[in-house]
Amino acid sequence: MRANANTSLIMSTAASRRLYFGALLGKSLLFLITSLSTLAVFFIFYFILKDAIPFFKLEGFKEFFTSTRWYPSGHPAEFGALPIFAGTGLVTLGAVVVAVPLGIAAAVCLSDLLPFNVRQIVKPVIEILAAIPSVAYGFFALVVFAPLLQNHGGAILAAGAWLVLGPILVLMVVVLGDLLLDKLRAIKLSPRTLGMVVFPILGTLAFTFLYRLSAHLGGIEISSGTNALNVAVILGIMALPTVVSVSEDALQAAGRELREGSYALGATRAETIIKTIIPASISGILTAVILGVMRAIGETMVVWMASGNAASMPTPWYNVLQPVRTLTATIAGDMGEADHVTGSARFHVLFAMAFCLLAFSFTMNLVSELIVKRSRKKLGK
Amino acid sequence: MRLETRKLLDKSFSGMGLIAIAIMAAALVLILSPIIWRGSKAFVFKGTIEHRRVMLEQYQRGNSERFTAEMAKATEARAPVYEMMAAFNAELKEMDRAKRRDYKDPYREVEKAVSVLLGPKPGDRTPVLLRQQYGQTRWDRALVKLHEALYSADWDYSNTDAMGVLVETPRANAFKGTKLEPLFDYLENHLDEMLRPKTTFYWQFITDTSKDSHFFGGIWPEVLGTLYLTLGAMIFAVPMGVIAAIYLCEYAREGRVVSFLRICISTLAGVPSIVFGLFGLAFFLNTIHVSDSKSVLAGSLTLSLLILPTIIRSSEEAILAVPRAYKEAALGLGAGRWHTILTVILPAALPGILTGVVISMGRAAGETAPIIFTAAVSVGAPLKLWETLSQPTPALPWNIYNLCTEHEAVDEIRHVQYGMVFTLVAIVLLLNLFAILMRARISKKLRG
Repeated sequence: MRANANTSLIMSTAASRRLYFGALLGKSLLFLITSLSTLAVFFIFYFILKDAIPFFKLEGFKEFFTSTRWYPSGHPAEFGALPIFAGTGLVTLGAVVVAVPLGIAAAVCLSDLLPFNVRQIVKPVIEILAAIPSVAYGFFALVVFAPLLQNHGGAILAAGAWLVLGPILVLMVVVLGDLLLDKLRAIKLSPRTLGMVVFPILGTLAFTFLYRLSAHLGGIEISSGTNALNVAVILGIMALPTVVSVSEDALQAAGRELREGSYALGATRAETIIKTIIPASISGILTAVILGVMRAIGETMVVWMASGNAASMPTPWYNVLQPVRTLTATIAGDMGEADHVTGSARFHVLFAMAFCLLAFSFTMNLVSELIVKRSRKKLGK
Repeated sequence: MRLETRKLLDKSFSGMGLIAIAIMAAALVLILSPIIWRGSKAFVFKGTIEHRRVMLEQYQRGNSERFTAEMAKATEARAPVYEMMAAFNAELKEMDRAKRRDYKDPYREVEKAVSVLLGPKPGDRTPVLLRQQYGQTRWDRALVKLHEALYSADWDYSNTDAMGVLVETPRANAFKGTKLEPLFDYLENHLDEMLRPKTTFYWQFITDTSKDSHFFGGIWPEVLGTLYLTLGAMIFAVPMGVIAAIYLCEYAREGRVVSFLRICISTLAGVPSIVFGLFGLAFFLNTIHVSDSKSVLAGSLTLSLLILPTIIRSSEEAILAVPRAYKEAALGLGAGRWHTILTVILPAALPGILTGVVISMGRAAGETAPIIFTAAVSVGAPLKLWETLSQPTPALPWNIYNLCTEHEAVDEIRHVQYGMVFTLVAIVLLLNLFAILMRARISKKLRG
């Protein structure tokens, strides 16, 4: 091209054609390389499915999804994966319970409450939490957290109850008391005297409830520190950065005008956020929750190291103090043994599990894309 | 609602947000502090004379004359122990049979505890296992072993309803009145003369190979394996990712094909890491046979797929952040499209692209699940560069898992486990710190 420019400003047809085809060739080459990542997705689906189908051919669907007996090395082998699905669900649910309220509160704080320079300090904290390798989290769960839970389980649970429920109950007492005072206006007494009666009663009720709950929790002895609770807490912390950063983006995207409009109508900051901003950015927050769930469900090392790996149904279903086993941990743990007998159902069942994981994460991904698309349409952007 | 209540609610709402942030920060501190504190003890610790002996004999490190002089002092301090044991042996021979049988087992335990503490008795045959050829190399472990030598531990299961209770009895009680009785006091009071602890700075923990499955030495094979895997993944993922980003930003017109590409990329980002591992096994190893067994190559390929979406996204962001004016100016000067991309857009986007690359390097270094089936082994020598094409390697994340769950003496080598976690976390965090600083510089530059 440069040579052309030197000799004459007008390009010959041949040169122009050469240039055109060159550009076309370059473009298609770029497209090919880009579509390699697409190809990778198809290959992943194909190769996982290819090794998963023999399992379903051999053993059928019914036992895998409904039986609770998981004895892959028994004679005859039994492949009831229900406890494993239940374990995965329980652990993921626990992680969501930890990560979502905490994450959304932190995101609100980051986007609306903290001044700019404090935010600059908090952001790296989130990034570091996201960057710590999962095996390091697993190591912490197994070597530090599990013995703590095992030796001081009751005390930790009780302290957790105070920490979580304490502020919430105080708030509830204040709000309920206020509402009651409103209702009791008919009685001809000054609000102050009424308040002297209402608030102590409610406060005592709340305190008694919390005290008895924590006494009950304090009496619990945890027989094994490697259980669903341990994993759920750690997974929750791991999912936290995803939830925080995605929902913070969503909250910021809600824009200044909405906030200022709400303030102008006399709403406080809390009311603005709860009644205006969060509803406006609910799609982004939902996406954040979905991404958090995906992070928790796909995590391998923490659950493999610290969940106890017992393929039994949690009884009752919400019992988090029991060891559980998850899909990812089963794949990671059983492959070593199954590898020697490539071709048997024991090998293929792991691919069947991987396919379930894959299908779940794919669906979740599509759902989050859909949510984003719909909200974009709604907002007219 | 009254105005005061609304104000109070508003305040407590802010308080909850702050609490959430505080909990997050506290979680970070709680998780990192034991890793950093105990991990640093793999590098800086009170090393006994046995540590210096291992260094001298196994790694040819240290001053042998000074060591000999020090060892002579230690041997002098240890002599009474062996004298007492010899005296008790002589005493034992004169006892009647029944008594001798009573003493036999406790005495054997004492003998074993002493050899664990101080190394094999002088004059004994050299044990086969390397870990039995030396005494305790670390003072903290030596104190634990001293306790085991002084007290015998038994589990009391008499209450069948509760868990067993640990009962410790001083071993000295069993030997009351014999010539072995003073041994226990002597061990307790003269341990530091026998082992001569000294604050040791063992930075070679990173560059030493391990001896006898991590009982002695460092973690070089694991560190090197992690480096190979990470760099290998980068070699495949960076060109592909950057090219894909260029195509998506500069060439592709928004339409069906591109939105399909984007869905595929976000799907790839959502695939659980263990599924990547299975895919690597099923495709790279069992189908196209990039190598006969697990290998660094197969692991790198698998990891590169894992980080590809991250690299594409961050490169895309970096390219989109380049001001439009740059591009228009270049095109206006008569540069071709490709020429503009290569000489104007890419250089301007380079810091941003590098930030993404560095972050995904950290991700690749720390991922365990994809390399379990494709690249990692528990024990191995450091690989040469060309061996990476066909050989599996130990790697930090996998060996952390392996050492703290499957190793035969998990409690004995806690310091190695912590040291490994510390090293891995340090690598990842340094990479991230680098990225954070770089990003700060870019945003400063963009703000002018």
